[in-house]
Amino acid sequence: MSSQPISFYERVNTALDDTSLKTALNRATERFVGNRAGALRALSDANGLRDAARAIRAGALAQLDTLLVQLAERVEARGGHVCWASDAAEAQRYIVNLAQARQVRSIVKSKSMASEEIHLNQALEAAGVQVVETDLGEYIIQLAGETPSHIIAPSIHKTREQVSELFHQHLGVPPTDDIPTMTQTARRALRQRFLQADMGISGVNFGVADEGAVVIVENEGNARLSTSVPRIHVAIMGIERIVAHMEDLGVMLQVLARSATGQKLSVYTSIINGPARPGEADGPEEFHLVLLDNGRSKMLGSQYAEALLCIRCGACLNACPVYQAIGGHAYGGVYSGPIGAVLTPILQPDLPDVYLLPQASSLCGACQEVCPVRIAIPDLLLRHRADAVKAGKAHPIEQAAMSSYKRMMTNPFLYRAAGRAARNGSRLIGRKGRIRRLPPPLHTWSRGRDFPTLPAKSFSEMWEEEN
Amino acid sequence: MTRSQILANLHTSLASNRPWLEAVARSAPHSIPPYVMPAADDLDAQFMAELHAIAGMAYPVADERAALTQIAALLADRPSPQIIAWEVEQIGLAGLAALLDQQGVTLATSDLHGTSRSAHLQNMEPLAICISGVEAGIAESGSLVLRHGPGRPRLASLLAPCHIAILRRSQLVRGLGEALALLRNRYGEEIFTSTSNLTLITGPSRTADIEMTLSLGIHGPPEVHVVLVG
Repeated sequence: MSSQPISFYERVNTALDDTSLKTALNRATERFVGNRAGALRALSDANGLRDAARAIRAGALAQLDTLLVQLAERVEARGGHVCWASDAAEAQRYIVNLAQARQVRSIVKSKSMASEEIHLNQALEAAGVQVVETDLGEYIIQLAGETPSHIIAPSIHKTREQVSELFHQHLGVPPTDDIPTMTQTARRALRQRFLQADMGISGVNFGVADEGAVVIVENEGNARLSTSVPRIHVAIMGIERIVAHMEDLGVMLQVLARSATGQKLSVYTSIINGPARPGEADGPEEFHLVLLDNGRSKMLGSQYAEALLCIRCGACLNACPVYQAIGGHAYGGVYSGPIGAVLTPILQPDLPDVYLLPQASSLCGACQEVCPVRIAIPDLLLRHRADAVKAGKAHPIEQAAMSSYKRMMTNPFLYRAAGRAARNGSRLIGRKGRIRRLPPPLHTWSRGRDFPTLPAKSFSEMWEEEN
Repeated sequence: MTRSQILANLHTSLASNRPWLEAVARSAPHSIPPYVMPAADDLDAQFMAELHAIAGMAYPVADERAALTQIAALLADRPSPQIIAWEVEQIGLAGLAALLDQQGVTLATSDLHGTSRSAHLQNMEPLAICISGVEAGIAESGSLVLRHGPGRPRLASLLAPCHIAILRRSQLVRGLGEALALLRNRYGEEIFTSTSNLTLITGPSRTADIEMTLSLGIHGPPEVHVVLVG
């Protein structure tokens, strides 16, 4: 659980101590990494497709002001409604007011990270409206009272036994270890919710400016049901998730599906344009598009603008050795993994410890390597670190250590003296070439591993003797 | 007003970062590839192989008569007095209306906008079969492109556990880019004039949300049967 005030370090330690989480993370990330690699290898020109995806996204952001206006106008021209929401509170208020004005009693929701960002479920429930998450993974964590731990696989941290127990408790079905049986249980339970719902809420993968359409991709069919059966459809879109032309989907959908799950295309891609037309048997009578800013319009002018190219495929989470070890909840924000460490300090700046997220990276570059739009995530993490230091958030000991380090590295005499001291010191506390526990403040480094003792002579001393 | 505030922020932001974004935008062509995988010799075979790989079924048949026989066999395996379907003329398969008549199968009312919305939904829920036509088929992903609209309900590829789609060989294209170009050529700026929805369907509904283990049919149809005619 991402229950807040406990510190980032505590959340990390809890995650590292959780062996079933470790098993689940290994299984999921290995599978996703392998599937993605296979799907990209099968392409004639994977790099060309990624370059095109990056260029298309950057081109859309470069004219985000005009494209958003175009999108909104075309949605309205089809009889849809558009809400421009500058923050979570405005988006919440619009949707809660709409639900109340239309006497909505129950809502079916398909997966939307933007709705997590604005804590929509809590707001709707507080207003007395029942909200059911219908993506299987989201449903499981809603029953468990938790939050998603992965952008595209929200419940990867749950074992089948835990899911069986949740269904047993909440749905009254007998426990089982058969996964297809559990899936059918969820199908039956959720089907009635779809048929009875007054409103469906979805996220948006891409807004298509030239057609005034929103695109939703999924594998389960819950997004199709949520956007086709209820009387009202509300789509929530981060303002940056836009492409200029419908044809751009010919690149974007291909890189999204392959990067996310290794599929050639997701099972269902819905391209939705306003409410049902006259003569259409199904589809909603009302369509509302909530354009959520929540920090993005300012971020576009910052040194972090590149992160707005993100299409939320989750590939960087799967590739990240830190995410693989601690999972999504330890990050504490809505978005986890490398891209979460970039986005959370901007989108959720008030979370405690948020400045520590960019520290939780070895800057190995695996995230940038797999990113379908080639976001330079390690660079952005470094910028966050520099910002944190400028804002006076660095630990005083760390700051003192860094300034002594700088002095030492720029002065040959000090460098040699420090090297000698470290070599002598390491032999004093080491046993058989290993140091089990470094002295404070370095002791946390050796908590999970031994440190080697340093050799008796430095390289330059040996060089002088040899030559 | 929020809209003008957001737009003002965007203007300010773009004043500083637009040159960088435009440089990135120019770093690669935006041309949309008609297809993205090495070209296969035979579109039908590629389509069928891709659909099989994702647990869909394909039935290549020589003509409309054979298509009707195939549909009759699928109906016989799943007896259902009513089905959820596109209007027969929208499916565009001669003889389908007569076949349904002969089997005593009627189309369920799927109109959700009338007064009996809830009754229609509850009536459709237990039905076993959906039948739809398609706009195009995409060979390299085994996908169907459905353009919904009057007489072409979305629920006719969604609600029941078995979806039967009628696809003509002549409707096959190689890749997604080609399918989108085809829609543009066919409808120009009018793609969405009479419909609120286009859907790409790539195999049966699936989930791997529990322990990364695949299950079919979590919300949409667990069975997708494509009758490939011609």
